Amino acid sequence: MAAIAANPRSDNLTGPLSASLVLHAGLVVLFIGSAIYSHQGDSWGGPGGAVTVGVVGSLPAVPMPRPEVETPSRVVDESKGLYKTEPQPKIDPPPDVTPIPKFEKNKLPKYVTRPSKILENPAPPPPNAIPYGGGGTPTVPYSSFAMGAGASTQAGMGFEGPGAGNFGARFSWYVEAVQRKVSSTWLQSTVDPSVQFAPRVVATFDILRDGTVTNIQVTKSSGNPSVDSSAVRAIRDASPMQQLPPAYSGSKVSVEFWFDFKR
Amino acid sequence: MRERKHRTRSREPNGGKLAPYKTNMTRKLAIIAILFMAALLLCAGNASAQDWFKTGTGLGVSKARVGVPEFALRQPIPPALEKTFHDVLWSDLEYCGVLELVSPSFYPAQMPSQPSEVQFAQWAAAPANVYMLAYGNLSGDAANLAASGYLSDVHNPQAPIALQKIYRGPASDAGARKLAHQFADDIVALLSGGSLGIAQTQIAYVSTRSGNKEIWAMDYDGQNQHQLTHLKSISLTPRWAPGADRIAFTCYVPFRGITRPEICLFSTVSDRLISFPRYVGSNSSPAWSPDGNQIAFMSSQNGDPEIYLTDANGGGLKRITFAAGVSTSPAWNPKTGKQIVFVSDRGGEPVLYLANSDGTDVQKLDMPDMGYVVDPSWSPNGQLLAFSWRRPSGNFDIYIMDIVNRQLVELTRDQGRNERPSWAPDGRHIVFESSRTGTKHIWSMLADGSRPRQLTFEGQNESPNWSPK
Repeated sequence: MAAIAANPRSDNLTGPLSASLVLHAGLVVLFIGSAIYSHQGDSWGGPGGAVTVGVVGSLPAVPMPRPEVETPSRVVDESKGLYKTEPQPKIDPPPDVTPIPKFEKNKLPKYVTRPSKILENPAPPPPNAIPYGGGGTPTVPYSSFAMGAGASTQAGMGFEGPGAGNFGARFSWYVEAVQRKVSSTWLQSTVDPSVQFAPRVVATFDILRDGTVTNIQVTKSSGNPSVDSSAVRAIRDASPMQQLPPAYSGSKVSVEFWFDFKR
Repeated sequence: MRERKHRTRSREPNGGKLAPYKTNMTRKLAIIAILFMAALLLCAGNASAQDWFKTGTGLGVSKARVGVPEFALRQPIPPALEKTFHDVLWSDLEYCGVLELVSPSFYPAQMPSQPSEVQFAQWAAAPANVYMLAYGNLSGDAANLAASGYLSDVHNPQAPIALQKIYRGPASDAGARKLAHQFADDIVALLSGGSLGIAQTQIAYVSTRSGNKEIWAMDYDGQNQHQLTHLKSISLTPRWAPGADRIAFTCYVPFRGITRPEICLFSTVSDRLISFPRYVGSNSSPAWSPDGNQIAFMSSQNGDPEIYLTDANGGGLKRITFAAGVSTSPAWNPKTGKQIVFVSDRGGEPVLYLANSDGTDVQKLDMPDMGYVVDPSWSPNGQLLAFSWRRPSGNFDIYIMDIVNRQLVELTRDQGRNERPSWAPDGRHIVFESSRTGTKHIWSMLADGSRPRQLTFEGQNESPNWSPK
């Protein structure tokens, strides 16, 4: 034992040992470093695909009843919204002392403006002319709007066909609730932005007793697939509706719903 | 769809063509078969002759005009409760966003207390012009309160009553409020076509009025403000779980000897904290997935603040953003659960980024102006994003954006700092924090920016979150 230990040539391992230790430590550092480095690489998909955003006056996706004529909101004014509100202009108080203006006696105006013939002799307004600012939708009381017969021109409702007048007359509040719900789920943004106007789309669907909407069909196409599909989507998003009135005995109600698209 | 219709129609003539057969026997059989089919068709025709109606849209919809006369008293109840009931019912219906209440000065002289007493012609005529009438009576004793509520279509006296229910509760201020909230919610659901009312929802928020920033909750109209957490440190960014039974928030708690921001869960059912794993680094701004099974949050456990997903019970941690810079404030699309919007400063300024909920397909939402865009909140129908935006003009204001066509609307202006919007579950209301009175308080408004109303008045209050039901 002592003879082997005393042999300096065969068992002096400190040199190779330290060298291998350094080498292994270096390898470990390399491993960890590369792992950390690779995890801080680029994001998936990258930050590309940026989309531009525009400012508008109002958004239709808020499920609130929209008035027939939109009045611009002062708060959401689209043009001035991008800039800081202008500060109140400073108005200097009038000076206390001002020189008396000189009386210019012999100075005549250079140009004489002639009275305008058009403004002087205006054609009398027709007797049925609407005064300026008095146009817009007539302020009909809600009752006559709701029960009005002008179903073809207003977004009102009419009752026809088999069982006419039964459901619609007894549960007109339910009919209006359906109208309000579908209107709130019908979004302009689901229609091709190049479409400004589309003929009427007519769709039919059934409302089951628990309010589920089934059997959605487009019975009269507008000729524009994106408007048709937006109508179908609006009806689908409106499901479930309110449950059918408890006083109603049937198991389902069929609805014919029209959509007039105008941007 | 057209083809299908033609096919169903062409069945009848086909049925008629079954006749040409040669022998007598087969002819008789055929006749019997035809008769049978005709009978079947008749039956089917009878069955399908159910009620239907026709309606449409395109010109916008009016709000329903509703008259709400004061309830009659059947038995004497404390005047304070009666007043509470009427005030709460009126304010619920007035603030719901789909109804137009007719002013009581237009009402006829006689107030109905039950359907037989309604003078339909008077209510339908000018000046009231009421479309639906909500009325009823109150009764009760020392301990209980009952309200019989009716909703009638004024123009169809013969039609069945749209709603008749008896609401019962304890004879207390909270009881009277609850009755009024329930009746209001039923009316809103009926007249808006099944979208639920929000009169019984709650708002969680951060308040300093106990000395520390703790999580508080209140009714949607600012009543019943009460403290939820008692951690005596800092609690921030409360977020209701979809079932409204838990609240996730950022809490400052010690972990491995260091007090650091962590995610905490609070159960509103058992009124105490639920265990949730702690992580190193700082962890904040939790957000629930719409199914309530996952939580997205910001964590710097691996150095950079990035967004992580974890199951609501704490398992299955997964990192979903991988970009240099901070990524925080995630919000899920509540309709689909497939998209996440978050705030990141990877491009310089903090702005919104849209990504799939697994972190793929990251898109920057380019704004038409400079400035910080923070605190995104997704509307319940998944169509709109509300957020606060600090324009170069200096102030924070609330904006909403249509996520499909990227159009923007500004909801607040020149009214102090307005931050951290949160949508109500009906998609018609937004709650936010505003410094317009000088100190930070919670305010709510309709989602078109109209009718702001202040909900808190004590201490400093911030970071509101509307309960999903």
